[in-house]
Amino acid sequence: MADTAEVGTSPAHRSGHRRPRLDLTGPSLLGLPVAALVVFFVVPIAIVGAYSVDALSIRSGPHPVTLTAWRDLFTGDPFLGHVYLKLFWKSVTISLIVSAVIVALAYPLAYYLALSGTKRKYVLLLLLIAPFLTSYLLRVLAWKVLLGDQGPINSLLSTMGLQSSDHPLHLIYSRFAVMLVLGYIWLPFVALPIFVSLESLDRRLLEAASDLGASRLYTFSRVTLPLSIPGVFAAFLFVFIPTLGEFVTPSLVGGTDGYMYGNQIVDLFGTGFPDWRTGAVLALFLLGVVAVLTLVFARFLQPSQVAAD
Amino acid sequence: MRDGEDLLERRVSRQELVKLAAVAGGAGLLAGRTSVAGAALSRLGAESGNLRVLDWAGYGYDGGQAMFAAYVKKYPKNKPKFTVMANEADALSKFQAGVNWDLFRPYVGWVKYFAESGLVQPWDTKLIPNFKHLNPIMVKAGQYKGKQYGIPEDWGFDAILYRTDKVKPKARSWGLLFDDRYKGKIAWYDDGSTMLPMTGLYLGFKDPWNQTDAQLKKAQKFLISKKHLVRTIWSSETALWEAFGSGDLWIAYAWPNDWVQMKKKGLPVVYMMPKERALSWIGMFMLLKGTPRPNLAHAYVDAWSSAVSGKWLEDNYGYGHANLLARPSSSDLLRALKIDNPKAVGSSIAYIDRDIPRRDLYAKVWEGVKSA
Repeated sequence: MADTAEVGTSPAHRSGHRRPRLDLTGPSLLGLPVAALVVFFVVPIAIVGAYSVDALSIRSGPHPVTLTAWRDLFTGDPFLGHVYLKLFWKSVTISLIVSAVIVALAYPLAYYLALSGTKRKYVLLLLLIAPFLTSYLLRVLAWKVLLGDQGPINSLLSTMGLQSSDHPLHLIYSRFAVMLVLGYIWLPFVALPIFVSLESLDRRLLEAASDLGASRLYTFSRVTLPLSIPGVFAAFLFVFIPTLGEFVTPSLVGGTDGYMYGNQIVDLFGTGFPDWRTGAVLALFLLGVVAVLTLVFARFLQPSQVAAD
Repeated sequence: MRDGEDLLERRVSRQELVKLAAVAGGAGLLAGRTSVAGAALSRLGAESGNLRVLDWAGYGYDGGQAMFAAYVKKYPKNKPKFTVMANEADALSKFQAGVNWDLFRPYVGWVKYFAESGLVQPWDTKLIPNFKHLNPIMVKAGQYKGKQYGIPEDWGFDAILYRTDKVKPKARSWGLLFDDRYKGKIAWYDDGSTMLPMTGLYLGFKDPWNQTDAQLKKAQKFLISKKHLVRTIWSSETALWEAFGSGDLWIAYAWPNDWVQMKKKGLPVVYMMPKERALSWIGMFMLLKGTPRPNLAHAYVDAWSSAVSGKWLEDNYGYGHANLLARPSSSDLLRALKIDNPKAVGSSIAYIDRDIPRRDLYAKVWEGVKSA
C-alpha cells in the first residue's frame, strides 16, 4: 500500500492535482533590487535619522539621544526662530512658480509635437532634448554671462534707453536668476511626460468629438486636456520635487537672494562648524514632505481613473 | 654616514637585508626589543608609501606642485597623494570616516581646537631646517601649551576691496560692507568665524571672538538688516573674481590677492585696511596622530617652508608666506601684504584669527543670517 504521507503517491497526486510548488520566480527576481534598495536607500536614511536624534554624532564624547533638533525646527530656536521653516517655504514658492510656469510653457510644445501630425516629430523631439547632451555647468555659465550687470541684456536695455547704464537690472545673483536657470534646465524634462501622454491619446476620441460637432477648443478642454492630466501631473512632480531640494543652481547664480533650503543642508554638513544633527533633520523633513506629496498626488497619476470619468 | 645620506634614503643591500632579518627575528624571540633590534626594525620598517596630504584646492597637483617640488625630488618613492578639503568643517566631516591622512592644513583659528581634539600631535621642529626662518609671530600663533602644533605657511589679511571709480567710502571702515548707497554691489565672505568677529569689531564689541548671547543676537540682527544690500556671499575666490571682474560687484570682503587680480584686469581698485583693524589668517600644517610617516611629513613641511617655495607662493598665488626671506616680485603685493613689516600680521593693523570658544554657535548664527 502506498504511503499516503509521500507527496508523490498521495491520493491527491494520483487523482491529477499537483500540490503547488513554491514559486520562487518573484522573490528571486525582486531579491537583488530589494536588497539594493535596502542597502543603498533605507539604511542610509536610517543613518541620517540616527544623526538627527544624536544617536550617532560627529562630536566625540557622550551624546544622549534627544529630539531637541526636531523640536527646534517646529517650535523655533532661541537664535534662529523659525528660520528653517521660512526658508523651506521660500524654496517651495520658488519651485512652485518654476514648475507651474514651465509646465504651462511645455504643454503647447508637447501638444504640437504629439498632435500636429508633423512627420519630423521625433527629430524635433531630439532637438528639444539636445541641450541635455551638453554640460550643465556650461549652460549655467552661459546664463551668467548673459545676465551680468554689464552683459548683453543690460547693454541692450541701456542702448534702447530703457535702463540707465549706471543702474543696470540686477539679473544675475538673484531669485529671478535661479528661477530662470532652473526653468531652462528642466524644460526638456517636463515636455517629455506630457508628450508621452498626448501621444498615447486615442485619436478616434478626437475624431468622434469633431463628428459630434465639438469645436476644436471644446474638444481640447473636454477631451484632450482631461486625458493628458496624468502626464501634466507627472511632469509637474517631475520638476517640483528635485527643484525643491536644489542647491547647485542657487549656489552658482542665486547670490544672497536666491539662497535655498538645499543650500542650507549642504552648509550644515560642510561649512563653518559641521552640524550634522540639524542638517539631518532638515534633510529628513524635506524627504518627508516629498513623500507625503507623492502619495497625495499619486492618485492623479492613474490614467484609468481619468478615462473612467 | 655618507654625504647626502640619511636614514630614509639609505638603500639596503641583499646581504644587509638578510642580516637585519636575522637580527630582527632574533629580537622577536626576546621578551622586549633591544636597541639594536629596534634600530634594525625601524630601518626595515622605514617609512614607505605615498605621503597622504589633506589640503585645500590649489595646493596639490592642481597648481601647487612648485611648493613641494624639493620634497618630490628627495623622496620620489613617497610622492604626496592629495585629498581636497573644502574647509576645516569638511576636514572634520572627512575624519568621521576615518583619519586616513598624515597631515592637513587648518587655519590659525583652529589650532587650539585641533590640539585639544586628540587628532593631532606636535611637530619636532628640529626636523624642519627652514623652521628658523619663519615669522616668530606666526610661529607663536601655531603653539598650544608650549608645543608646536601648527607650522605656519601661507597667510594674508581679510580687508575690503573696492572700486575707486564707483565707490566713495565715508570712512576707512568695515562699514563700507554695510553701506546703503551701494545696494546690490556688495559681497560678504561665507564664514561665520570671520564675519561675526568683523561685525563685532564694527559694532565696537570688546571681545568679538567671545561674544555674549546678547551681542551675537545684536550682530545677527544687524547683518540680517543689511543683507538686502549684499549681492553675493562668496566662498570661492574664482567666483569672486568673476563677479567683481565683470562689474557685478564693486565692494567685497577680500584677501590681498583679490586686489592684485583685479588690478591685473585693469580695474581701479583699492585694498583698504579698516580703522577697526583688519583680520589676518595663517595656514598651519598639522601632523595627524598615528601617522606611519612622521619623518616624511616633516620633510614635506620643510619643502613648503623654504624661501624658494615662499617666493613662488607670493608670486603665483598672491598669498603671503611665513618665511621671512621670501619676497614677492610684485611691488603691489609687497605693499598689500606689508611684507616689510613682519609684525603687521598681528599688530595695530590686524587681529590674527583666533580660537572661538563657541564656534558652533557662531556657525549657527551665521547660517541663520544666510537663511533669513
